[in-house]
Amino acid sequence: MSLEEFKDRNIGTQNYRMLDLGESPKSGMEKFKQVVERSVKLELFTGLKVTFREMYKALFKKNMHTVKYPFEKMPIAPRYRAIHQMKRLLESGHYRCIGCGLCEKICIANCIRIDTRYDENQRKEVSEYTINFGRCIFCGYCAEVCPELAIVHGGRYETSSEQRASFSTLEDMLTPLEQLAEQSEFPGFGAISPNADENVKKTPLAY
Amino acid sequence: MSSVDMNENIVKVTIDGVELQVTKGKTILQAARENGIYIPTMCYLSKLEPISSCRMCMVEVEGVDGVILSCQEKAVDGAVIKTNTPTIERERQKIVKLYDVNHPLECGVCDKSGECELQNRTLEYGIDRQEFAAREQHRPMRNWGFISYDPSLCIMCERCVRVCNEIVGDEALQISTGGYKSTIVNVKSDDDCAECGECMAVCPVGALVSTDFKYSANAWELRAIPASCAHCSAHCQLNYEVKHESIDNPVEKIYRVTNDFEFSSLCGAGRFGYDFENRASRRDEAAFSRAVEAFERAENIRFSSMISNEEALLLCKIAEKTGANLVCDEAKAYQDFMRAYSRASGRRLYSGDLKRVAKSQSIVVLGTRIYDDAPMVKYAISTAVKREKAQVAYLHPLEDGRIRNIVTSFVKYEVGSEEGVAALLAATLIDRRRAPEKLLKLIDDLDIGYLSAESNVSEEELEEIKSMLWKRRRFTLIAGADLYAHPGAENIAKYLAVIERYSDFDLIIVPPASNTLGVSLICELCEMKEGYTVGYNAPGDFVLSALGDGDLDMPALNQQEGTFTTLEKRVVPTNAALGYEGYELADIAAALGIEMENVVDLTPYLPEERGFRRVEFDSLENGFGIDGSDRRGYELEDALFDSQELPLEPDELESFDGTIIYRCDEKRQFNPFTAKCSQLSAEEAVLKGSAQFAAAAKLEDGERVSFEVDGIHYERVFSIDTSMKGTVALNPTFDIGLSSFAVSSYRFSKAQIKKVGSDDE
Ligand code: SF4
Ligand code: SF4
Ligand code: SF4
Ligand code: SF4
Ligand code: SF4
Ligand code: FES
Repeated sequence: MSLEEFKDRNIGTQNYRMLDLGESPKSGMEKFKQVVERSVKLELFTGLKVTFREMYKALFKKNMHTVKYPFEKMPIAPRYRAIHQMKRLLESGHYRCIGCGLCEKICIANCIRIDTRYDENQRKEVSEYTINFGRCIFCGYCAEVCPELAIVHGGRYETSSEQRASFSTLEDMLTPLEQLAEQSEFPGFGAISPNADENVKKTPLAY
Repeated sequence: MSSVDMNENIVKVTIDGVELQVTKGKTILQAARENGIYIPTMCYLSKLEPISSCRMCMVEVEGVDGVILSCQEKAVDGAVIKTNTPTIERERQKIVKLYDVNHPLECGVCDKSGECELQNRTLEYGIDRQEFAAREQHRPMRNWGFISYDPSLCIMCERCVRVCNEIVGDEALQISTGGYKSTIVNVKSDDDCAECGECMAVCPVGALVSTDFKYSANAWELRAIPASCAHCSAHCQLNYEVKHESIDNPVEKIYRVTNDFEFSSLCGAGRFGYDFENRASRRDEAAFSRAVEAFERAENIRFSSMISNEEALLLCKIAEKTGANLVCDEAKAYQDFMRAYSRASGRRLYSGDLKRVAKSQSIVVLGTRIYDDAPMVKYAISTAVKREKAQVAYLHPLEDGRIRNIVTSFVKYEVGSEEGVAALLAATLIDRRRAPEKLLKLIDDLDIGYLSAESNVSEEELEEIKSMLWKRRRFTLIAGADLYAHPGAENIAKYLAVIERYSDFDLIIVPPASNTLGVSLICELCEMKEGYTVGYNAPGDFVLSALGDGDLDMPALNQQEGTFTTLEKRVVPTNAALGYEGYELADIAAALGIEMENVVDLTPYLPEERGFRRVEFDSLENGFGIDGSDRRGYELEDALFDSQELPLEPDELESFDGTIIYRCDEKRQFNPFTAKCSQLSAEEAVLKGSAQFAAAAKLEDGERVSFEVDGIHYERVFSIDTSMKGTVALNPTFDIGLSSFAVSSYRFSKAQIKKVGSDDE
């Protein structure tokens, strides 16, 4: 297909509505006339009226639309995928991550790394965990694959910092211990379904 | 072979509608696997005898009621077999479910996850609910040193027990029976088994895992580099598995070693002694130019047989160019021994190999502490004992308590009398109907009484060895490292050769160190001359060392590509697991005007007249076929000569009295490289003797002693080993660095042992 043909191809049968914009001025005289007309008819104040109305509402009626970022932030939808959080177990405060390495494996940008070791209590200890946010594409796969609901996406979308390494270690992502009580379950990407209990199949016990 | 016999050896079976021709005697499972037909198994392992305990491998045979277990049932002519039917599928599902009862849901942390057979079967059969239950038992974890055992993960397939009995021959593992409470116990406790890790390798689940590796990485993160073990002449197949060291250190390191455990085995050195790489990664130009100068002026190039075939050939080329002498202490003695052997046997290489050892019914071992010297030979012997009920005569001055279970008769001879013993063996084993007149005369002229008295091998013992041959087939004679540096080595070699030539015995002349066989075939070796010496992994005036302690660093064998020559007379490839930034021998050769890019370019130029083949390195395979056939590298070509020199009557036997020291690196230690490995470096080198030795040398357990052997001064702790007897003590050399590669004298020596404390007074 040539470029001409391409441009002329039938692109469907949508009903396009043409805007009635009138004729554009052509000669110099016509343009001059248009400018004069617009100035004299004070069309400018038609627009400014809206501005003044809203200014009045904001200043005297406490009805402000501007978000005073960074003092104020917009709420984020639960499915929004921003900087990760690492959750803790509510009972013990221990991090939930078991070091299974599935997030590391699935990560499409290859930006997760985990060091694990055998600790004194015969457990698998996550000795270090990092995400390279310079490479993360916030796809959410890690949160989805995590069997422990340990790694989830949080709402923290401000990702500028002095150091690339900022907020990317286990320490940074873990719920601070003093805020454990406020730790909420993650409703977004990779969370268990609301009817998860119904789907659980019971294993018989011999005692 | 006529077509009639051909047909007798072939049976026709139909599996899942495919008509197959298989060799008679194969099981249905083997027939299926060889032809790429899948039958699930759990307890079966190719290298072990089937025990048919899991029932996963059941198949239906037309005309037979019920199911039959394909792992043990032989394929019979005309059988029509179905590997999968709805009934079988249901049965198998049930079996997997039963395995899953109380199996901890810890795949997320388990080391086996990703390569676990139970995990695979559970997913394969879609087990998503459980209807069986049993009361859970308290099953504490056990630490067996190198290996950790978690009984709650164990599925009681008994593979570990069987491999330890049948292959390794250590009989360390047993089943503590008790129905659902059954567990595996290590009766040899902490440090007494060979710690070869075979049990851990064959465990289908995460019940047996490496204590060191535990929880440090996942199977899927590791990159496996197929290679060959560098430590001893078996050059077993293995994979170095590498991953970056940690988040902070992106440099790769070897995390563990795995192998194709269906068909091959490893010893503890191969399995746990893998991180002997040389980390010095700088290109030290000044040292390099000094090295080139050193090579230019060297009279001797001395090297160790821990070297690839290609580098050995490269050293030959360098020596040719500079006119230096090639010296390899270990290999020289072996080369002379093999040449004497060839002159008497008329062939270049000995006839035996490990497959044939494993199938032998009588085995005679002479002049080697086989448990330590050649683990794979010992494995093969123990397999022969377990499967073929082989009789084993072990002739050595030191009894070895660790192999009491596989040896039928220990024959203890006097230290130094190997030549006489070889003559006595020849007189006992040679088939008189086949031997030429002259040889018979020589044998008849032997003064058996004298030889037997001097060597302390009684005529009854010889009779016993002779009786081992009675009504048996397939015999192997294994000769080892004590013989090569014996003053009468040449004669011993000829005695062995005539035994092999004029009897049904196969012979294996075990190369004493890593690539000794390769070096002895490739290089023309000489004695040391006076003058400047360059040492390549050996002492010298200028030392190139892969240990990192020399004048110029060299890559270790896990950082090099190349080939090794194994005791099975194969040339097998190895690959570089880790990078190396410094200079290599090839760079030095290039600086000396020998043109080439990579050292593996030399693979096709290994001497054809010595049995090597003209094949490119990259075309060499390193693995096993689906039927277990050895596809590693290629086999050396043997050659026949028209030569039949006869041995001479043994010389007067030298007698050794008093305290004698035997050079021997035990168990997992073979050389300074094994000693360097993180998991093995904790082992202290001690002088080990019996209580009798202690009394004779007036030593106490734990005392510090000093002595001198082969011009090397040793200072170590003396320790009494209650399992030993006699007045010979074991002295390791793995801790003395590169000097150990220059020691190649007769392994027994008299020594004055001094207490260190009393010296100072
Ligand atoms: S969000 Fe995607 S890219 Fe980012 S760490 Fe997770 S898996 Fe990797
Ligand atoms: S997937 Fe979850 S539990 Fe597993 S390592 Fe990642 S964060 Fe930890
Ligand atoms: S490590 Fe080797 S010798 Fe020890 S129990 Fe396991 S298989 Fe047996
Ligand atoms: S430890 Fe492993 S190999 Fe041994 S019986 Fe248990 S599951 Fe089988
Ligand atoms: S040291 Fe020898 S027997 Fe042991 S794994 Fe290496 S090559 Fe095999
Ligand atoms: S594989 Fe045949 S019974 Fe286990």
